[in-house]
Amino acid sequence: MNNDILLQLDHVSVDIVRAPILRRVHAELRSGHIIAVVGRNGAGKTTLLRTIMGLVKLKEGQILFEGRDLLRVAAHSRARLGIGYAPQERVMFPTLSIEENLRLPCQVAGMSKAQVDERLEMTLDVVAQLKPMLGRSGAALSGGQGKMAALGRALMIGSKLILLDEPFQGLAPALATEYSNALKNLQLRMPDLCIVVTESNGSLLKDVPDHVLHIERGELSAVTRFATAVGPDTPSYLPLEAHS
Amino acid sequence: MSSDILILAMLDGISYAGLLFLVALGLTFIFGVVKILNVAHGSLYAFGGYGAASLGLWWGQGSDSALVSVALLISGAIAMGVVLGTVLMLLLKKFQDRDPILQLLVTFGAFMIFEDLQRMIWGTQPYFVADVVNQLGTSELMGVVYMNYQLLFVPGAALAVYFLLKWFLNSTLAGRQIVAVTHDREVATALGINARRIGYLTFVVGAVLGSLGGALASPTTSLVPGIGADMIVLSFAVVASAGLGQITGALITALLIGLSRSFCVYLAPEFEVVMPYLIMVLVLLIRPQGLFTVVQARKI
Repeated sequence: MNNDILLQLDHVSVDIVRAPILRRVHAELRSGHIIAVVGRNGAGKTTLLRTIMGLVKLKEGQILFEGRDLLRVAAHSRARLGIGYAPQERVMFPTLSIEENLRLPCQVAGMSKAQVDERLEMTLDVVAQLKPMLGRSGAALSGGQGKMAALGRALMIGSKLILLDEPFQGLAPALATEYSNALKNLQLRMPDLCIVVTESNGSLLKDVPDHVLHIERGELSAVTRFATAVGPDTPSYLPLEAHS
Repeated sequence: MSSDILILAMLDGISYAGLLFLVALGLTFIFGVVKILNVAHGSLYAFGGYGAASLGLWWGQGSDSALVSVALLISGAIAMGVVLGTVLMLLLKKFQDRDPILQLLVTFGAFMIFEDLQRMIWGTQPYFVADVVNQLGTSELMGVVYMNYQLLFVPGAALAVYFLLKWFLNSTLAGRQIVAVTHDREVATALGINARRIGYLTFVVGAVLGSLGGALASPTTSLVPGIGADMIVLSFAVVASAGLGQITGALITALLIGLSRSFCVYLAPEFEVVMPYLIMVLVLLIRPQGLFTVVQARKI
């Protein structure tokens, strides 16, 4: 497992309409980990992910991705760095088929047909539930299917980091298990991928995350609930540090 | 009522609907992506008409070829659309992320300036360049002799644009990016789409559609100051009745308004002017979101 710091947030503060949403957030996310960000509604989970994607303006702070200043990268150029994003509301484009939806970010990034085919094959391997849906319209999905499709689309372009905003929200228990299995499967298949999952109800996540971060009123703090996931013989480093 | 009048009214209506559709399509298309109701779209119609007429006067005189005339019409429209669309886009760039009402006012201001510019360049004398209409000849349809230009060319061009645009949006990468930005700008950006560039592309395509409408109208309408204002109001009636951002809806509504207007001309001329608005008011009373829109939160 590759343990380099992939994404580092330093004293990141964000205001939305002059109300502070994130307050001096500090976090280091490493490759190969599944990280859960748990917090109540309105705590700043979605804003945290949108900040990483460049969709909101920072008031202060710095974000480094693979050591490079992410603030100098335009929002629309961040996907190309290998960051995939699945927003909370499943936003499949309704006039395109699921397959077209999945291919779109890769095509926009300028990948060749062969490369896109390869990513699609990998994605379908991990999220096998998508296979029968490929030909369907983006408008014709149930909530759970939409979550799966959004995961798939994030995976298509997110070769290094994927951000999943409340994927378990509204999933039936059976589907939630399927979704967790897909995430674990993904970790096996792509051991260097860093996965960030937000959730308001931490218990839904079960043993999926390697690390859990709590977010409350825009402040992030680390909780290492699942120490076993890191391995008992590696307690010397804390893969995630958060302080405010 | 004789059947001749019925057929005449129908043909007039279809031909007029073709023009209306092109202009309304540009308006609704721009709104879909940029979320701005472009009042200056009426100027694009007027400039498209004048531009095409001027090209026809400069280069089309003495030529008998309908192909040359058609090529001049279309190239005049595209040139005007690209130039004015770019000017408008640069202007609006200064006001992006501001109140939508302010952006609306900016396009209104631009409309007034373009209107005066048009008087400055072409004067107030009516322009009329109808070579292409004669070159394309006439046909007889159930006893009614009708110009091929209005019978076939204008509706044909409108349908061709409709299908071309559908194909462009569904099957090309640029088109799919437009669809993505229209649906959700933020998600599209997160997927790597440069929404600003796509916005510019959309604006120019929409502007060309507006000016194409003007260019195609120019051989059968005399160009006078104020035609832009008439058209923007009418095409707004189409767009509002169809629902903003609805392409197929705009086609059907343009046909509805075009036909009812031309039937009015023959049967109850005193209602001609009020007819499109009557339809709009009726539609908006029953379905405030427009005929073809699914309900969603209001922006303005």
